[in-house]
Amino acid sequence: MRPLLALLLRAYPRAFREEFGAGMLEIMMTDYARARSTGRVRALFYVVATGLDAFAAGLAERLNPTWTAMTPADEGRWQMGRTLEAWARDFMHATRNLLRAPGFTLVTAGTLALAIGANTAIFSVVDAVLLRSLPYADTDRLVSVRGTAPGSDLPDEFGVTDEMFVAYRDNADLLEDAGMYGVVQSTARAEDQVERLFMGRVTAGTFPTLGAMPALGRLPTADDDETVVVLSNWLWNTWFGADPDVLGRAYDIAGTSRTVVGVMRPEFRFPDERVALWINMVIEEGELTPGGFGPSMVARTAPGADHADVAAQLAPLAARLPEQFGSNAIYARIIGQYRPIVRSLREELVGDVEGPLWVLLGTVGIVLLIACANVANLFIVRAESRRQDLAVRKALGADRTGLIRSQMAEALLLAALGGAGGALLALVGVPLLVRAAPEGIPRIETVGLDLTALIFTAGVSVAAACAFGLVPAIRVSNPGPVGGLRQGGGRVGGRPSHWGRDALVVLQTASALVLLVASGLLVQSFWQLSRVDPGFDTDDIFTFQIAPTGEDLNSGVAYGRFHNQFMDRLRALPGVESVGLVQELPLDEGAGATFMQTERILASGADEPLIRYTFVGGDYFETMGIDVLSGRRFDHTDEDPGVTHAMVGRAAADLLWPGEDAIGQRLRPAGAEESGLWWSVVGVVEDVYLEDFRQREPEALVYLPLIGPGYGVGSPAYVVKTARADLIAPEIRALVREVDPNSPMYRIFTMQGLADRSMAQLSFTMLTLAVASGLALILGAVGLYGVLSYVVSQRTREIGVRMALGAQARQVRRMVVAQGGRVTLLGVVVGVLAALGITRVLETMLFGVGAVDPFTFVAMSGLMLVVALLASYIPARRASSVDPMRSLRTE
Amino acid sequence: MTSRTYEILNTLEYYVLLALAHKALYGYALKQAVAAESDGAVTPRAGSLYRVLARMMTRGLVHEVEGGAGDEPHPGLDRKYYALTPDGRDTLRAEAGRLRDAAALAEQRLGLVERAP
Repeated sequence: MRPLLALLLRAYPRAFREEFGAGMLEIMMTDYARARSTGRVRALFYVVATGLDAFAAGLAERLNPTWTAMTPADEGRWQMGRTLEAWARDFMHATRNLLRAPGFTLVTAGTLALAIGANTAIFSVVDAVLLRSLPYADTDRLVSVRGTAPGSDLPDEFGVTDEMFVAYRDNADLLEDAGMYGVVQSTARAEDQVERLFMGRVTAGTFPTLGAMPALGRLPTADDDETVVVLSNWLWNTWFGADPDVLGRAYDIAGTSRTVVGVMRPEFRFPDERVALWINMVIEEGELTPGGFGPSMVARTAPGADHADVAAQLAPLAARLPEQFGSNAIYARIIGQYRPIVRSLREELVGDVEGPLWVLLGTVGIVLLIACANVANLFIVRAESRRQDLAVRKALGADRTGLIRSQMAEALLLAALGGAGGALLALVGVPLLVRAAPEGIPRIETVGLDLTALIFTAGVSVAAACAFGLVPAIRVSNPGPVGGLRQGGGRVGGRPSHWGRDALVVLQTASALVLLVASGLLVQSFWQLSRVDPGFDTDDIFTFQIAPTGEDLNSGVAYGRFHNQFMDRLRALPGVESVGLVQELPLDEGAGATFMQTERILASGADEPLIRYTFVGGDYFETMGIDVLSGRRFDHTDEDPGVTHAMVGRAAADLLWPGEDAIGQRLRPAGAEESGLWWSVVGVVEDVYLEDFRQREPEALVYLPLIGPGYGVGSPAYVVKTARADLIAPEIRALVREVDPNSPMYRIFTMQGLADRSMAQLSFTMLTLAVASGLALILGAVGLYGVLSYVVSQRTREIGVRMALGAQARQVRRMVVAQGGRVTLLGVVVGVLAALGITRVLETMLFGVGAVDPFTFVAMSGLMLVVALLASYIPARRASSVDPMRSLRTE
Repeated sequence: MTSRTYEILNTLEYYVLLALAHKALYGYALKQAVAAESDGAVTPRAGSLYRVLARMMTRGLVHEVEGGAGDEPHPGLDRKYYALTPDGRDTLRAEAGRLRDAAALAEQRLGLVERAP
């Protein structure tokens, strides 16, 4: 009778019904029961009378409301209050339910916390490094101008030259402001401090271009010379105790006395956070000499100008340069091939790390997806077991929204727990992540768990709750009036429909496989890279630089003597096997480059090739383990201003004298014709990789001795071969202090450290991806295991019947495993297709392996299948150990 | 107490306030109390009772209170308890005074009370 009586309530307006319906229904039901107990007629009479009353009172209420006599605003507030109340009730209910199932709660909230924490941590890095705008004014109008000259010997991309900068700045009306800058590492001496610092060399226009203002003092102007310097806020704080009197004082900076005119604001970093101070760079515009590509250029574009327009305006300006400057052949050739590259400053500053960071965010996103799929699975199973309860509630008049709401309350509560746990994990994890991150990620020091990251966490948590809660909630809230109430639902023969869970397993398998393939490709790249022979040893080599000072150091010979004496002191240290030095260390600074000529090139009129060169001394080749292929190494007799001997790498020998013996051949830098000097080759050595292990082939490299005609080497890198490479630094530091107390030691590495550094970005990305894919694999396996376990428990009776009819345990096992296998196989197919599309984003990070490497795809698919079969085997065993008699009694 | 005028209550309203003046009640208990205290003269049906209750709540004479926890005789139907507000109490007191005056007048007219000498 309740539904009929409840129907009578429809006579009242909705607000009235919602407020008083329950009370009225109780009265009606109690009175009806009493009337019924005295006879059917009385009961019928009661229903009719009550119906009339409801009709009359309902009509009266509608015409002359007692309860809805509220303003629409009140009504809205009242409705919202009702909704909030309902949610509060559902949340209380959900809390009780979750407390009653601590295992389920811990597993799901823990899974979510891991995934959400990983997302929060990576997001906070992405936000700080990529999303937050640069600390300059109007950053979207700031561009970097570089160039490329395909077909020339120059690198793929390079900076501008002085005269190019001046031409661009003065003639391109799409550029409002422009500055030129570079970063050098040099010694600064102030008060009692001596240290090697990164210093910006910037033209006066750079600061206004960036819209930067000083915190103290002033900025350099066009009238200043190069003895003017501006301090970064952190240098001002750490070196000068934030003393405002620092303005106007002069210090020895990069070998010259320079006066501090200003201090920048704390947030100003340019071009990166390492830079401690900025030296005013002056371009002598009256006496520009063409060439010297290298410095970077930053410019502010006119409003609305896009990058292509700017590049189109710059190209003809560059093309006119040779005629303006009385071209030499090499310069004209490069300009002929030159094309300007204009891109946003942001891209220039963060470009290298952008790809890997998005990959990492994508990775943890996939892990979250898998975690959600897992939790959704558990949710469906849990909801299935409450299907009857829900069906009863529905029959009792609970509406669908209410049912979905009560399910979602549980999902949201779990997601909130997971989100809170994730935030905690991120709080611990972000500092670890920052410490583990490779060098050179801009603004990494600003990464932290801030409000943006927490908002992101909250958003991700809610999204996750919708992802894993909504579908099960909707499914379950619609149990169908009969099916839900029918006892048991133990179907014999007919397969229960669980396509929803199967789909989740497919999704999980596919996502996990994508991650597995990606990390497989990275692991292979890492392995390939670590097997690259760079041409030198990396074991047991300690390296450092000093920049000696002293009045007697007034010639190349004097510097050479200093270095040779210092190397003797180093050799005397215990455990040191050999010592050498080099102007620029491979994997660190690379080497200089110049156009070289040989007699043959001069005779043929061919283009002079751009060749790298460096200076070496002591036992450099022995220490680095660089093999001599023919001829001999340098010795002390070569270190003489009157001797012009050179050694060449194999690539340089092949390039300059193809098919000939290089020993005894002669070469010289272009532009050195007047001296009349030629360098003759005394030895050929194995090639070395100068920049990193990813080079397709080693550069052509020429070695010159420590001392030669008119030159010497000021501050080379020393290389020390010793089994104590990791420990020897303090002893060497003491030695440096003794020999030259005013010279700081800097660029202190081991060669192994440099090798690791050159692979740091890859190893970091690889490690993160490997951890993520491992996690994905486990979660995927757990998901499959959960589904199969549930299916087996649902089919216990069916399996019992089969076994009673003579099915063997093996057949039953095979049946269950096959079911898992089918789903996994579908997941693998989907995953392979997805991975084919997705691994392309890794292309720039890969080395020695293609983005669609068949071996990796097959191996990882195999791994996924094996793990899936293992995950199916446990439920399969359980199924095969079903006791037919017991199983038939289970329901 | 500031003097204010109180509206005249109808019978059902009066008995509802009267019943709630004793203690907070839920719907069915209220209905029973009204019937008992009116000696069975007033037996409102659900709609009438709740419309009166709604009107009094709108006027601020009655409000919903935390009821005694526990018995839920019909699943899913939570009981709400209602009680008098201070205004409701004042209104009931004024109505009782009005009824007393009216009753005294009636008794006087019917000669039930002796005239003062």
